[in-house]
Amino acid sequence: MLERTLPVTNRLGLHARATAKLVQLLSGFRSSATLSARGREVNAKSIMGVMLLAAGQGAEVILRVDGEDEVAAAEAVAALFARKFDEES
Amino acid sequence: MRKVLSGHGASRGSALGRARVRLPHALDVAEETIPAEQVEAEIARLHAAIDVVRAEMGLLRERLQGALAKEIGEFLDLHALLLDDPELLEGLDELIRANFYSADYALRLQRDRIAAVFTHMDDAYLRTRIDDIDQVIGRIHAALHRRDAAVHGIAGEILVADNVAPSELPQLQAQGVLAVVTSAGSALSHSAILARSLHLPLVVGATWALQKINDGDVLAVDGSTGLVVRDPDADDLRTHRARVREGKRERRQLNRLRREPSRTLDGADIKLWANAESPEDVAEAHALGAAGVGLYRTEFLFLGRRELPDEEMQFQAYRNLVLGMTGRTVTIRTLDLGADKADNTGLVLPDEPNPALGVRGVRLSLRRQAVFETQLRAIVRASGYGPVRVLVPMVSSREEVLAVREQLDRTIAALRAEGHAIAEHIPLGAMIEVPAAAIALPGFIDTVDFLSVGTNDLVQYLLAADRNNEALGDLYTPLHPALVRLLGDVIATASAHGKPIAVCGEMAGDPAFVPLLLALGLGEFSLHPATLLEVRQAVRACDLSRLRSRAETLRHAYDRASIEAWLREATCPDNPAARVPSHG
Repeated sequence: MLERTLPVTNRLGLHARATAKLVQLLSGFRSSATLSARGREVNAKSIMGVMLLAAGQGAEVILRVDGEDEVAAAEAVAALFARKFDEES
Repeated sequence: MRKVLSGHGASRGSALGRARVRLPHALDVAEETIPAEQVEAEIARLHAAIDVVRAEMGLLRERLQGALAKEIGEFLDLHALLLDDPELLEGLDELIRANFYSADYALRLQRDRIAAVFTHMDDAYLRTRIDDIDQVIGRIHAALHRRDAAVHGIAGEILVADNVAPSELPQLQAQGVLAVVTSAGSALSHSAILARSLHLPLVVGATWALQKINDGDVLAVDGSTGLVVRDPDADDLRTHRARVREGKRERRQLNRLRREPSRTLDGADIKLWANAESPEDVAEAHALGAAGVGLYRTEFLFLGRRELPDEEMQFQAYRNLVLGMTGRTVTIRTLDLGADKADNTGLVLPDEPNPALGVRGVRLSLRRQAVFETQLRAIVRASGYGPVRVLVPMVSSREEVLAVREQLDRTIAALRAEGHAIAEHIPLGAMIEVPAAAIALPGFIDTVDFLSVGTNDLVQYLLAADRNNEALGDLYTPLHPALVRLLGDVIATASAHGKPIAVCGEMAGDPAFVPLLLALGLGEFSLHPATLLEVRQAVRACDLSRLRSRAETLRHAYDRASIEAWLREATCPDNPAARVPSHG
């Protein structure tokens, strides 16, 4: 299992569209994935789960991925966060 | 089986599509259990419904084209993801299996469980995402109650609901909704006004629609006659096709009005200005023969940026506008923003508890001298390329107009000194949208060169009714005696002082209100190009002297019903565009 701490830096936080992008991205990987913040852990492949996490801008979330392609999945997610979900392009 | 329902036509146009029924209390399902042996069948029924919704959303997605495709596509993708969400789905099966709940009740419980978490979120934006979940659950719920579960080939949808909020309409249309049928509602409601401006067919007052129409039924809707046919037969389909052809013919007829004057039957020329910002709207305004641009909102130059637009950038935009109108006057409104929109701009404003009543429009400009100065310089420089007028929003007092005039005069003098070629005269006008300005107008009319009435805000402020608050229902309406009187007074004051006055709210763009505004003495309308020809058609069907002779009755109307009755009576029967549907 891999664990990474990711800062949420995009302006709107993990809002619906950003969440949709995250879930779509993860659905391409076999590994299971969770996000946690403020003591809550949710399924990162569930849009509802991630929205319920309600991570606003400036929050930090912990990503945990587990499975055969966990390295690639973690890299891809970290890159998406770093690109601020492409929302300010 | 074929069934005809009769409502009131509120927005013209015909549509053929599948009903998407939205029950007013779709999620208000009582606890309901099923026998243990039916559990697996119930789960299968639920999943069949989810499959239908998924397939239909896929069809909708495929139909999306053009500029909206990306934005709406993302929105539909979000709904599709919700539909496949493990947290949503697994929870449902479990509720049915463990408690023998019906699929309906399980949906409701699941929805409430999610809503409970959402309503406690700190983030206002995320809190409202419960709407997306409600839409998805509402679709599944409706699909559970179809007569057959087949995926329907006709992708176009007709929304059938008890009522529809104005704020929903653009979104519904963007999602591919072809027409709307409501069991309640009025043809002069804010929703109906908006539907007409969007050219979205709307039938209101189809009393039994929710009882007689099931989700997935094929409907033929006629927004002119108010007829809704369920399961149309061959004859109905022929009628529908004839209606569509007729609609195209009407469009062609309207298009012939491009080169015609906006002149009443008795020869009075009415000025139709365009509200335009995008180059497309400006080109369209020019092609339609608009008198000029009556309202150019400068906010869009500021929105969605991290830095304020500098003088050069604003100047380019204003100059292009002026050049695009080739000598016709353009009216540039100075920045009309408040704290509610400013987080999207280069302006940094403190949060306000009530931004509608806060530092916005001219109040903001006068507090941010540098920002205002930059904007005025850009506008004044553009005046060297064609006639320009400056319009100031949210004015409530004489002092504000004087302060703006002083700054404008200083800017003109400075630019002249710098050697810029600028217009001899740049008229300065005030928006009349704060009731105080409307009432105090006689005391400051000498300070302005022209006026523009923003009815959207004037109605909202005068009636203390937020136009986007759905709970207020029809309280937000231009058909209030207070508005009619005030509008009449403002127009009379302007006319007495020889100052041009236009109305630039939604009201001006709706052919249904043309007789009312003409009766009150209005000679200038400013409206989006989309409905300019329809308003011109309505003007051309009016007899101004006849309307003026009835103005006193209108000014003394004491309630909404009597204003509506006046409009019905005043509207020329041979003018389809301005027809106000009668209420049964």
